[in-house]
Amino acid sequence: MDVWQITSFTLLTALAATALMVPPGLALAWLLARRRFRGRVLVETFVSLPLVMPPVATGLILLLLFSPRGPVGGVLARVGIDVVFTWRAVVLAMTVMGLPLFVRTVRAGFEQVDTRYEAIAGTLGASPIRVFFSITLPLAFPALAAGAVLGFARAIGEFGATIMVAGSIPGVTRTLPVAIYTFTEIGRDRDAAMLLAVSAGIAFAALWLSNYLTSRAGLRT
Amino acid sequence: MLSRLTLLVLLAWFAAPQGGASEPVTVAAAVSLTQVLEEIAAAYAAAGGGPVRFNLGGSNVLARQILNGAPADVFISADEAQMAVVEKAGAVLAGSRVDLVENQLAIVATPDRVDFVRQEFGRAAAGIRRLAIGDPAAVPAGVYARQYLERRGLWSAYEPRIVPTTNVRAALAAVETGSVDAAIVYLTDLAAARTAVLAFAVPAKDGPRIVYPGAVLSAARNQTEARRFLTFLRGPVAAAIFTRYKFAPLAS
Repeated sequence: MDVWQITSFTLLTALAATALMVPPGLALAWLLARRRFRGRVLVETFVSLPLVMPPVATGLILLLLFSPRGPVGGVLARVGIDVVFTWRAVVLAMTVMGLPLFVRTVRAGFEQVDTRYEAIAGTLGASPIRVFFSITLPLAFPALAAGAVLGFARAIGEFGATIMVAGSIPGVTRTLPVAIYTFTEIGRDRDAAMLLAVSAGIAFAALWLSNYLTSRAGLRT
Repeated sequence: MLSRLTLLVLLAWFAAPQGGASEPVTVAAAVSLTQVLEEIAAAYAAAGGGPVRFNLGGSNVLARQILNGAPADVFISADEAQMAVVEKAGAVLAGSRVDLVENQLAIVATPDRVDFVRQEFGRAAAGIRRLAIGDPAAVPAGVYARQYLERRGLWSAYEPRIVPTTNVRAALAAVETGSVDAAIVYLTDLAAARTAVLAFAVPAKDGPRIVYPGAVLSAARNQTEARRFLTFLRGPVAAAIFTRYKFAPLAS
């Protein structure tokens, strides 16, 4: 029954997207929480853009960039990597759309970490990298977890950008939301209803978990 | 006092019965008819007909919208199956259904790939890695495309390479952005193509019979005007415009 294929494909790609958003997300969140620099507002704006722009518009930008005739897609095509209309486009769309949420949540977490601890660790001889991994990150961990869950939930629910850049190819790029849309278009109403229930269940669980983790982070101060 | 007056004015505006002749006829039509219907609507207006408004999309999507209550006076489908969907639900005005035009399939590609596609399509060459068609599950252009590929014994070779799109113009767009190597669209869609060119047309005898039925909907708010427009579509002025766009008019 391809309802299971669709669900597992969506969960796996969302997991991959969440993993992908962590390194740049941590870096951006830390930068925005700890550093004043010229162009900071620009960085903040760009990071928030996928949150505020219509998802299909973001998807169109990704399509123009990554199609075989686009600047990035053209280069990748020459080394044999297809992006658009493959699982890679699905992960790409999910990562781009989830990153702003992750950054916002983690940034708030970093801002709650008392910089005095970091300063003290510095006076005891720890390098900035060591301070980050042994002081800042562990103290902000609940926010990191909450951000990851939020990014994951956003990735699962991602539709506009996904359908633009990955399409709705059965067994290849049909995620949960895309399948619900397509099944409704082609008259597979029972399957659409089943997927609706699955996605509602997943979203509910993810949001509950995220709220729980965020409140735990709040309690720690 | 003033706010009560405003409320009354707003209520009157919303509740006022809409005039018959000034209210546009809403036509839900297959997206492949986009340009030709625009021109026909202009000719209709020039001939004294009223304003016509179009809701264009994949015929399967339109059929579902109609069944879910989308306001429309006329429905023109790209295949009989989607018209049957609407008929079976009792949404069609009895006796108003007519077959309007016929069409042909065409395989298209971008100029740099078209020679390759023309030569290699029949052998399902590996170089044609992705083929865009309307979703073969319900979009008429996709259903026709599948029938054609099955008839030529090419369906099993192409099935894993199919990129199903929401309607035939989306398949055309996919080929024009270079995201797919070729697409199966209608011959008439070439008029709307900007960079895609014809690899080859499917002769009527080699492909499925493509008929566009039209009908007045029973929920039409503007039945008289709707019938007038449908009648106009079967007349000589419309037939000349259809022919110019490479549709084959069926009406007498």
